[in-house]
Amino acid sequence: MTAGVSRGAPSPGAPGDARVPRPGITSSHLFWQLASFALFFGLWEIAGRWPVSAAFPPFSATFLALLHMIGDGSLGKAYLSTLQPLVIGIAICGVAGVGFGIGMGLSRTVEWLTLPIFIILQAAPMAAIIPLITYIYGIGLTSKVLAVIFLAAPVIVMNSYKGIRNTNPSLIQMCRSFQGTWRQEVVKIILPYAAALIFTGLRLGLAMGFIGVVIAELLITPTGIGDLITYHSSVADYPEMFAAISSIILIAAVSLHALERVEHRLFPAEIRGS
Amino acid sequence: MSYLRVPLSAFAMVALLTGAFAEESRAQTKTKIKYALGDVISIDELPLLVAVERAKKRGVDVEITSFKSEEVATQAVINGQADVGQGTPYAAVQKVKTPIRFFYQMSALQFFPIVNKDHYKTWKDLNGQDIVVHARGSGTEAIMRLMAKEHGIEYKSVSFVPGSDVRALGLLKGTINASILDATNKNYVMKEAPGKFIVLPLGKVKASDEALFATHAFLEKNQAAVAVLVEELIRVSREINANPKSIVEERKKLGLLKDIPAKLEAEILPYFEEGVRNGIFPNDGGAEHAANNDLEFFKLSGSLKGDNLKVEDFWDLGPAKAALGKLK
Repeated sequence: MTAGVSRGAPSPGAPGDARVPRPGITSSHLFWQLASFALFFGLWEIAGRWPVSAAFPPFSATFLALLHMIGDGSLGKAYLSTLQPLVIGIAICGVAGVGFGIGMGLSRTVEWLTLPIFIILQAAPMAAIIPLITYIYGIGLTSKVLAVIFLAAPVIVMNSYKGIRNTNPSLIQMCRSFQGTWRQEVVKIILPYAAALIFTGLRLGLAMGFIGVVIAELLITPTGIGDLITYHSSVADYPEMFAAISSIILIAAVSLHALERVEHRLFPAEIRGS
Repeated sequence: MSYLRVPLSAFAMVALLTGAFAEESRAQTKTKIKYALGDVISIDELPLLVAVERAKKRGVDVEITSFKSEEVATQAVINGQADVGQGTPYAAVQKVKTPIRFFYQMSALQFFPIVNKDHYKTWKDLNGQDIVVHARGSGTEAIMRLMAKEHGIEYKSVSFVPGSDVRALGLLKGTINASILDATNKNYVMKEAPGKFIVLPLGKVKASDEALFATHAFLEKNQAAVAVLVEELIRVSREINANPKSIVEERKKLGLLKDIPAKLEAEILPYFEEGVRNGIFPNDGGAEHAANNDLEFFKLSGSLKGDNLKVEDFWDLGPAKAALGKLK
């Protein structure tokens, strides 16, 4: 029992890997990606100049505002503040959430006790619940970390749980037929098999965490990027407001895309289930 | 019975057309104003509610929609979904290309700097200390910065906690020791913890707390309807200034805000008595002096930029002047 499931799987770029992109396809893919961005920003520019609303800035003004906010350091300072609850919340979810998910997957009792809570949390409209956190935990960092956890934890827990539960039964049978212990079954079969889904959970959890931290900064107290959005909206600096919103979308999208790339590198398609 | 079909159809057509014309003629005598309020309707909106009821009797139907914030109400006016907005979005008026003008001052700012007695007793004690205000660039921040300037002090930090009610809870819980509250929440805090807090003296801050604004085009096109609304608002303000109890009586008579809790109901008279004492309800709709005070104050708050700010770029004094001419 030495081989984990991910071991021995063909790595990207290995001979015979159908997913290895050919150079021609890559450049064409890049072209269409750039074309879609150009189309989107072009339409934004037209809509801003038309204008669809007197408060809707064109893309060029928003881009200049973004450069200005990067230049004067206000954007960097805001992100230092915003990333604090996000990183703490995701770290807590990464440890406790994955632990919970694994516990639920391995033990029927833990599953029976906690599964309904996470299903309800997954379905609950969090934007309505987050302001309630302030009644218990006030307006500080704790409330914002909790907002991130409330949004990220259900996805992380449920993915870990499903990853454990969906382990290929024939692999477990194989482990047992080789007289593997329960510990070996968990460490060498179940966890490596569930790793891909756990990682997907963490990636999706981070996406939810971004939503949570922005909602918290808009609804609890305006700090970080939420403060930039609120302030520029209140003084009618609409290009700056749109730039702040665009920047968080951009950062979230780039982070998630990078994590997806890592996921594709670490886990083969048959393990990811795609 | 087919021979009856033609005359019956004709009769139905005539009846429908008559009805339509009657509806049309009613519509011509009745004007509707879509009013965007950036707050929940509470006791401080009573003068507006009374004026709206009276305007309705004069054929002007004012439909009030309560929005989450002043910014949303402002967007509704900018984008044409609302005709009249309430608030003080001076920055938007200055920066957005759609010409928007203020035309009536509902009330002047009435805020109370409040501190925990165990920590601070005077303005000087706030030197190097943390304070909490509503939001960056807000009127509350401007007032606190103005006072710091007047008393020669500098705060260690200015934090932002939106909502007087939230800051009031923070003061009571002890997580905030120095802040600024509106009248209702100041009274609430003083009542909940008697002797725990001190209200610091505030020089006369005369800027608008709530003003009415609309697009220049709307004010031009709907002069008659706007005149009715402004006249009724001035009339209610004058009645309150002459006798604050009048608003309590009018509320009962018109059946306004019937569902408010008894605790809040008891706050109505003290709120208006205090407002009258502090002169926050203008008898003249604000006029030019309100406009000048606002330009000075909102420049200080950072909402307005640039020098040589002109009243005519922000205010249309016509509706209030016309109403004053009628009311005398």
